[in-house]
Amino acid sequence: MTSTTITVNGRAVTADVEPRLSLADFLREHEGLTGTHTACEHGVCGACTIMLDGRPARSCITLAVAAHGTDVRTVEGWDGDGTMATIRDCFRKAHAVQCGYCTPGMLATAYDIVTRLPGADRDRIRLELSGNLCRCTGYIGIVDAIETAIAEIEGGS
Amino acid sequence: MKPAPFDYARAESLDEAVRLLAAADGDARPLAGGQSLGPMLNLRIARPTLLVDLSPVAELREVSEDEDGVTIGASVVHSAIEDGEVPDPTAGLMRRAASGIAYRAVRNRGTVGGSLAHADPAGDWAPVMMALGASLGIRGPEGGRSVEADAFIADPLTTVLEPGEIVEAIRVPRLSSGASWGHCKLCVKPGDFAESLAVVVIDPDRDHCRVALAGPTHAPILLEEVAGTVADANGWSDALAGEIKDAAGRGIAAAGFADTGDRYAINVHSTVTVRAAREALSR
Amino acid sequence: MNDRGVGASIPRKEDDRFLMGTGEFTPDVRIAGMWHAAFNRAPIAHGRLLSVKAPKGAEGQVFSSADMADIKPIRSTASFPGFKGADFPVLARDKVRYAGEQVAIAVAPTRAEAEDIADAIEVEYEALPAVVDMNDGREPSAALVHDHWADNVCCETEFANGALEAAKEAAVHTVHRRFRMARQTPFPMEGRGTLAHYDSRLDELVVWMSHQLPHPMQRGIAHFLDLEINRVRVICPDVGGGFGLKTHLDGETMAVCWTSLRLGRPIKWVQDRLEHLICDADCRNHQYTMTAYTDEIGKILGMEVECVVDAGAYSPWPWPIGVEAATGVGNLQGPYTVDALKGRSVTVCTNKPPSQPFRGVARPGACFTDELTMDAIARTVGREPWEVRLDNLVPPEAMPYDTVTRKHLDSGDYPEAFRRCVAAIDPEAVRERQRTPEPDGRLIGVGFACFYEQTAYGTGPFGYSAWGIELVPGMEMATVKLTPDGGLWASVGIQCHGQGLETTLAQVATSELGIDPDRIAIRHGDTATAYAGTGTYASRSIVVAGGAVAQGCRELKPRLARIGAHLLQCDEAEVAVENAEVRGPGGSVSFAEIAEAFYHHPENLPDDTDRGGLTVTTGYNDKVHGGVFGFGAHGAVVAVDPETGQVEILDYAIVDDCGTRVNPLVVKGQVIGGYAQGIGNALYEESDYDENGQPLSVTLADYHVPAAPMVPDIKYDYMESPSPYSTMGIKGVGESGAIGPVGAIGNAVNDALKGLGVEIAETPITPRRVFDAIERGRAS
Repeated sequence: MTSTTITVNGRAVTADVEPRLSLADFLREHEGLTGTHTACEHGVCGACTIMLDGRPARSCITLAVAAHGTDVRTVEGWDGDGTMATIRDCFRKAHAVQCGYCTPGMLATAYDIVTRLPGADRDRIRLELSGNLCRCTGYIGIVDAIETAIAEIEGGS
Repeated sequence: MKPAPFDYARAESLDEAVRLLAAADGDARPLAGGQSLGPMLNLRIARPTLLVDLSPVAELREVSEDEDGVTIGASVVHSAIEDGEVPDPTAGLMRRAASGIAYRAVRNRGTVGGSLAHADPAGDWAPVMMALGASLGIRGPEGGRSVEADAFIADPLTTVLEPGEIVEAIRVPRLSSGASWGHCKLCVKPGDFAESLAVVVIDPDRDHCRVALAGPTHAPILLEEVAGTVADANGWSDALAGEIKDAAGRGIAAAGFADTGDRYAINVHSTVTVRAAREALSR
Repeated sequence: MNDRGVGASIPRKEDDRFLMGTGEFTPDVRIAGMWHAAFNRAPIAHGRLLSVKAPKGAEGQVFSSADMADIKPIRSTASFPGFKGADFPVLARDKVRYAGEQVAIAVAPTRAEAEDIADAIEVEYEALPAVVDMNDGREPSAALVHDHWADNVCCETEFANGALEAAKEAAVHTVHRRFRMARQTPFPMEGRGTLAHYDSRLDELVVWMSHQLPHPMQRGIAHFLDLEINRVRVICPDVGGGFGLKTHLDGETMAVCWTSLRLGRPIKWVQDRLEHLICDADCRNHQYTMTAYTDEIGKILGMEVECVVDAGAYSPWPWPIGVEAATGVGNLQGPYTVDALKGRSVTVCTNKPPSQPFRGVARPGACFTDELTMDAIARTVGREPWEVRLDNLVPPEAMPYDTVTRKHLDSGDYPEAFRRCVAAIDPEAVRERQRTPEPDGRLIGVGFACFYEQTAYGTGPFGYSAWGIELVPGMEMATVKLTPDGGLWASVGIQCHGQGLETTLAQVATSELGIDPDRIAIRHGDTATAYAGTGTYASRSIVVAGGAVAQGCRELKPRLARIGAHLLQCDEAEVAVENAEVRGPGGSVSFAEIAEAFYHHPENLPDDTDRGGLTVTTGYNDKVHGGVFGFGAHGAVVAVDPETGQVEILDYAIVDDCGTRVNPLVVKGQVIGGYAQGIGNALYEESDYDENGQPLSVTLADYHVPAAPMVPDIKYDYMESPSPYSTMGIKGVGESGAIGPVGAIGNAVNDALKGLGVEIAETPITPRRVFDAIERGRAS
């Protein structure tokens, strides 16, 4: 067992864990934050994407012990964030959600696109989404949502 | 898909990392961003007995620049290069290459040294560093040494690193102002490992012209005949494309880079080489 | 009038929980004392199983088939000629028949520990030659997948209708082609998962499953475990996609249920991606040999076809071996006026995972075959494929139209929908562009595909009931209840895994009663709350559950009217029930007031209040039982790189007709989602095996699910031809989008390659296949 201290959604958590425990399983099993989903566990599909020190990261291939000292934000941790509220609203209106399994990871990547690439056009949005698989929506609604979110945030700021 | 059990140690310095690796019984491995090792662990393809976490080691994140080039700490993440946070002595080649590695979430954690040391034959950095004539600084129990990038990967997933050795930094030479490069990566989906990846660097002022090729089944190679053809070229033409394609085919065959019966693979590799050369010669 | 009922594009009610990360999927469910399961799996595709030995110290945590003598093999039935059951053992018994077949279950407090134990189980095998390809499997020299059979053919069907000999004689052209679809996997983002827990208070095995068919699973688990149905409850909570994969009863689930009962402990198994890609059910591996007979202008007079299906090793339950082949042959004429068809299907067992229907069932294969044949006909007769299609499509004046395969096409204007698709693509402009070589050397092509979508079919004569299979969908039931505060609660036996039915079924009720969708709770996916049902598959749920919910609302109305009239002190004949109230000549009384009277102040009720109260359980069955038929026309423009074989979609158009659209936003979402999967089918996805039956596509590095850059924007249009047979004219739409792309893209690629004299006839159309075709063209 190894001790790890991670700030999860603003609260510091210290736990003794097996070194092999992934950050995703730490969040799900230890913290009960089951909004973070695992779907491929080899870093490709993006379902487990969370924010780590403010940047999207794969929680399935990041060890909980290696996340020691980091600041993690999961889908459950966006209360009060206006940008995420806008993104969520755009997802809703554009029908960017079907089964909901990829959605938490999509939101993390969408947040990254909206904040890091405010000039992104549809092609760039698609390129940036290539690490987040969705099997239901065909992506078009997701691209619509992110495009609209960029415009709304741009227009509102 | 959970890893087999292993022990874990955090190294606070490079010396400590080297010491921990040297002292370990069995298969001890350094852990940097974990973006290559993580999947291997989860798939239980890699079953190390000990992981030595390099992420606390500040010196591995250092970057220094001088007139002749830039030395990039092995733990610098791909996205830092992509975003230009690291000085780029290659007129954009490194930024292009970085932006095509996997996905942003992976680039935020994955490191340039870790990627090279993992030595996936279709990895993005090796052909770039080979074409640039970069070298790798290596630290081990016996001290430090330097290895040219083109001599670093021996076979797929195998490097010249001795047990206990760690990639410390990558020394990237500065391109002259008249230099030019081409980078062509063919893959099924953006971010995939390359089906074929060619990098061409032409730097006449430094008398440097190199063509590197990477693919999924063989360690990356330098195509010397193609480099000679490109160095002598004067503008782009269909005839030159044909010459390069033929020369690439010969180089691929000579190196055993693709199965001789696999006409598709040979064609793709030589076509990608032509496209990288075209980009370099059209700049 | 509440304007959020049928026809309104309202955002989905279920979105909030998914956007907040508070959905509950099977892997999210935790019960005190729960352990995790992992499986030891066969490393070879075919071999005798000699021994299974648990690692030292873990003897009580490992179980194999030898321990499970009291569990029955999963056995499916069918009345197809020569049908051989191919019992699916819960854990391998005597033999393993595909790489990855589950041999033993290991349980431990964590998944990682369970995997450690599963890894350490010692299993001895005697390797046998593997049957990898379906055609090889038909050879007399082939190894036998099932030793007690004479050969590997497990089912053959024949179908003939119309005067084929006369068609052959009258034919001016004969077009002959062979088509093949690779194996692929449905790949829902969430894999399978099962959590079994014995509830001693209720003496009930509670099974959480990531599944589409809760009630059939309840029946199957009870049957194969030899339990009373009363003692099994199946809950399918939020399910991360299904696409047909999660319609059969898997051995892992049975082993988890058995182990949970044996140990008296909740056991959870979450299928990981490696398991999914190595050994979960695959699909689509069909081969069609088509001969079409046409007149001078390409009007099809008759078709002759053989369909060979690779079934894998076992027959899944409840959809057995043979359903794929029968569906393929049964739709081969497409939406065209073909008068004679003779079809034969052969289903072959191989040493690969079982084959399972995937969105569209066999119809993408049928579409690939009939649509590529249509373009081959056009090239043969020297006309444009869109012109030839228009001459063959069933015209609107012929509706309802019985196809040669006895599909009763109920409504629609197929030529008009297709013309709109053609207009959106503008193929004449593509022809113009093709006259000049592209600057980048790529080849441009245009292609179309038309298909009907048979949705929500039931007991009709040429489907489930004719096949003699375990599960024949008929009456679909709903329970509808006015709640004490005037809201509506409805439970249904379908299951929602992304289709938005919690919203769309509410919209149906809104249209009937005027209650706002936000005040309507739709409950599904739980055998304890739904009276009956067969789940969600075959584009049925909005039609059948929508019909049942509407019927329930309609039966509730007179009861509400009686109480309302009494409260309003007027005659029942004078009141109207709408807009969530009962309105009489002198005023109105809200549903909430009626409910208040019924539930809390019965002293205010009339003496003749309906004894059924304010809840109705009722059903839906369409008037013809053969389903209601949607239609789709797809068009694609592609660029083919002859140097690398890469295909890029430059333009794509879809015109879809699913009758009355309950929620246009959701309808479009279903169509686009299907389109993306169709692109995977057409260009990328392949579950490949080596000559020993070892799976080669076991991670996402090898199995290519389309990502956002591979799914371009589309031009989307719709028509609404209500079905005369269903409630409100609704037709299903779930599978539609997935059927067409393989035809449209395949034709566009072949159009691009036509100057080279080659055709592609196999999916996925990978760069390697395109390159090989071009090489063949150069060689000849």
